[in-house]
Amino acid sequence: MSDSNDILRFEHILYYREERTSLNDVTFTLGRGENLIIFGPEDSGAEIVCPLIAGVTDQFGGEVIFNGRSIKTFNYVEMHNYRKELGYLQRDYGLINNMSVVENISLPLKYHTQLTTGQIGDVVNRLVEDLHLGYCRNMRPVSLSGAAILKTAYARAIALDPELLLVEHALEGQCLLNSQTYMRHLRTWASQPEKSVIIVTYEPERFIDFSDRFIMLYEGEIVFAGSREDFVSQNNDYLRQYCASSVEGPMKVL
Amino acid sequence: MQMLPYNVQCVRNGSEEYYPETSGKKSIQKKRYGRIRGDMARFPKKLSSAWDGVKNFSRFVLSIVRSFRSIKYLRFRSLYSIVVNQTRFTGVDALPIIVSIALLLGATVIIQATKNFPKFGIEGFIGNLLVIIIARELGPLATAMIVVSRSGSAIAAEIATQQQNREILSLELMGVDTKLYIVFPRIIASIIAIFSLIIIFDIIAFFGGYLISLTTVFIPAKSFVQTLLDAFSFSDLAITILKSVIYGILIPLICCYYGFMPRSNFQIPIFVSRAVVRTLVILFVINAFISALFYF
Repeated sequence: MSDSNDILRFEHILYYREERTSLNDVTFTLGRGENLIIFGPEDSGAEIVCPLIAGVTDQFGGEVIFNGRSIKTFNYVEMHNYRKELGYLQRDYGLINNMSVVENISLPLKYHTQLTTGQIGDVVNRLVEDLHLGYCRNMRPVSLSGAAILKTAYARAIALDPELLLVEHALEGQCLLNSQTYMRHLRTWASQPEKSVIIVTYEPERFIDFSDRFIMLYEGEIVFAGSREDFVSQNNDYLRQYCASSVEGPMKVL
Repeated sequence: MQMLPYNVQCVRNGSEEYYPETSGKKSIQKKRYGRIRGDMARFPKKLSSAWDGVKNFSRFVLSIVRSFRSIKYLRFRSLYSIVVNQTRFTGVDALPIIVSIALLLGATVIIQATKNFPKFGIEGFIGNLLVIIIARELGPLATAMIVVSRSGSAIAAEIATQQQNREILSLELMGVDTKLYIVFPRIIASIIAIFSLIIIFDIIAFFGGYLISLTTVFIPAKSFVQTLLDAFSFSDLAITILKSVIYGILIPLICCYYGFMPRSNFQIPIFVSRAVVRTLVILFVINAFISALFYF
């Protein structure tokens, strides 16, 4: 089902990787202002959802429709402009190693906007302050802690104030305590009515307080889709097995 | 599986043939024949892989040309620091080695010329020789070789590392046109740096070389400068500019191309070495081509 309020429609996506099916006829929509959690075990196909939305490849069946237009129809320049509308927090953060924290955050602003240097400085300073990055603002990624890398990459992803934020396994392997600043900021950011977030994770329960919908993938297919209440009630064998990390259940443990 | 005896040497070619080593001329001939046949069998394969390389490189160049479509969305301030850093690394930081090599090369040429030209009665042509050897050929070529070995290898290694760290992917995902953002500023910086280095190389080679040569032979400074000025023509300057532009485009282009090639960390040194060696070969070919075109 779709309506004009959807910011993103993922329609009948078929994606094969190395002669294996990664996504098999996966369909979902994301409303404006909605927060969606996509999870599933390794190789479930969840890891390819964000790259497909960002247009990393066009070798897939079905359509990814952003604001009513298929991303397959974007030309070279339109694709770059489309990516500007997305914030993408990668699994391995992808910070530029020869740039400081401040330079990393200001990079999309310098490249894409017509803001003056002073205005860019204001935006960056606000993000640095909100995310408690002041102590390392001039440090390069090699000298940063895991949490500081995460927060810098997150600040860079939201620097252009995107409509849609894609968060890909960003919290895995992070210190629970130090990542709280990031979690708090993400919660505030995601609660804005015009902002949408897709979070791909192995730990859906960590985002339960600000997520509207949950989708679980297994072997490239959706095996659970529901609201926060559905997720909490766990009336699904796949979901129960996943949350209990049990070897007993419909999913094969690799 | 049949075990080969200890003294058996295997000569492998396309058809997996084995020639056991026995004493006598026949076996040596057979071995040589096998090697030659193996090389010949591999030749078309090598030729085809070289052709594939040329096609891939053309596609890479085309993709950079195509990326100029998004240049109107580019804010040049985001490239400014890359151009400045690359110019500093390629140009300013290379000055000590450029100055040393220019001094030594200039001195060698001047000493050889002043010692040997009088034997042939052509001592009046020292200026011409310096212009021909240093300004036209050695200056640009030696500068380009230094730039390739210092900056070319650094460019290839930097891009390959960025690629493996998924920094380039993250730039793409930010909507940054990586071809334009990575290759274009390096080309601009290399042109500026190489042109400046060639001019500096020539000046140091002429005058520094002259000063060093004074320790062995005496040439009056006024006549030295005059012969140089007489020998210099506008076309020499034009060709120096042309060479610096061509080298400035080719060096970063080829090194960036090989920088984008590695698919794992293990391949980075392989492609960095390939970038340096192939850029050098291409520079020699281009240099010979330009000389043939303009001076033949």
